[in-house]
Amino acid sequence: MDSKQIADMVIAEIRETVPELADQPISPEDSMAELGVDSIERSEVILSTMEKLGLKIPMVQLHGPKNIGELAELLFNKSAG
Amino acid sequence: MSRPVGIEAMNVFVGMAALDVRELCTHRGLDMPRFENLLMEEKTVALPYEDPVTFAVNAARPIVDSLSEDERNRIEMVITCTESGIDFGKSLSTYVHKHLNLKPNCRLFEIKQACYSGGAGLQMAVNFVLAQTSPGGKALVVTTDISRFALADANAVQEWAYSEPSSGAGAVAMLVSDSPNIFQIDPGAYGNHAFEVMDTCRPGPDTEAGDADLSLMAYLDCCAGAFEDYSRRVEGADFRQTFSQLCFHTPFGGMVKGAHRHLMRKLYKAKPQEIAADFDKRLGPSLAYGKRVGNTAGGSVFVALAGTIDTVDLTEPIRIGLFSYGSGCCSEFFSGVATAQSKQKLQSMEISKSLDQRYRLSIAEYEELLSGGAVIRFGTKDTKLDHGIIPGAWPTTGMKDRLVLDTVKDYHRNYIWI
Repeated sequence: MDSKQIADMVIAEIRETVPELADQPISPEDSMAELGVDSIERSEVILSTMEKLGLKIPMVQLHGPKNIGELAELLFNKSAG
Repeated sequence: MSRPVGIEAMNVFVGMAALDVRELCTHRGLDMPRFENLLMEEKTVALPYEDPVTFAVNAARPIVDSLSEDERNRIEMVITCTESGIDFGKSLSTYVHKHLNLKPNCRLFEIKQACYSGGAGLQMAVNFVLAQTSPGGKALVVTTDISRFALADANAVQEWAYSEPSSGAGAVAMLVSDSPNIFQIDPGAYGNHAFEVMDTCRPGPDTEAGDADLSLMAYLDCCAGAFEDYSRRVEGADFRQTFSQLCFHTPFGGMVKGAHRHLMRKLYKAKPQEIAADFDKRLGPSLAYGKRVGNTAGGSVFVALAGTIDTVDLTEPIRIGLFSYGSGCCSEFFSGVATAQSKQKLQSMEISKSLDQRYRLSIAEYEELLSGGAVIRFGTKDTKLDHGIIPGAWPTTGMKDRLVLDTVKDYHRNYIWI
């Protein structure tokens, strides 16, 4: 699993969590906030992705990424480390 | 077996004025479908002559008034819990003690740890009773917080937007003793989770700064961590089975929903439908008052407790799990038991009626208050309050049962009963 695949997982989770975005094009350069994903939904997207990756770390360690690609990169590094 | 300990009497003071949050969101141009996720209806807005002292005293007075003189004389500690302090040295407790006419042999101090202050205060009082250093002694714990930010310009309003709809005001007074008529604490049944994080803070007297994502993440980490620590201490504790009801610190209902979902998925891999039904059943009642006052910070978990006790069926005693979280951060999961007597006693405080009796502010009136001209800033030396600023909000009952700020002279705040 590379960070590109993780970004695809995150995007799939976004579409799952916010049905309004099901048909909207979403790229790794997009930020969830700008797509209209609210803070509760953002945390759900991250938690679901962590679950799928089997990643068990404090959520605060995943704070900071500015867009989906950066989040995927961070998730990838945490999974590898 | 340790002796009984817990909350003997409790009251929530919900302020004198309120704002319709939906109207506010429309006015600010916030997206309405997303608004529903907040699970908010109204919020209490502190008037310029209401401060953390008046909120605290107005919450505690009905409790103190209902005591006999002998009982009143056994209040040996007044702990105010707040992130809205009015002085770096002198505690709010000194003013509260004065306006409640309590005895001089009393320990007075103030506790700060953001919204966890009330949890910390209650546990200090509970341990005072359990320690039996003064058998029969009572402690008065009062959480009191107001969010009042003097917003100078449109830019500041914009920055505040993420928390404005939910920022409320309120105070919760709790008399803690060995007669826990409202809520009997399970002694030794608690779990903590704490770590340093800069999620939200109050770096200046009239400013709040924060990161909504980081705050939510810290809250979720703490919720799981504190319950894990509780389970370590309490043999056989099961999040789904042990507690008939749950009360969480409630910045807004949506956040509680997120934390509940996180725990149900983490602990039981529960499916969305089961999670939603469990939330409605075990956390829905806790939102009864919070959705009408907004985030009351240190008191919000106890505003939730009051809502639960007032609205659920208590024919049989039930165990309630409480989760208190304060940014920065520290948290605690603890539990206790409420009974039919709890409901009877709490209903005498008529919290629901007080909510209905608040003055409904128009957006124009709210904005006038928000512009901050009439607000007494931290460190004000001398001033006289304008009691006519919102004419309709001033009570005309003349019952002398409500405290308001009148003047400040040489930094000393003078209050009057109206």
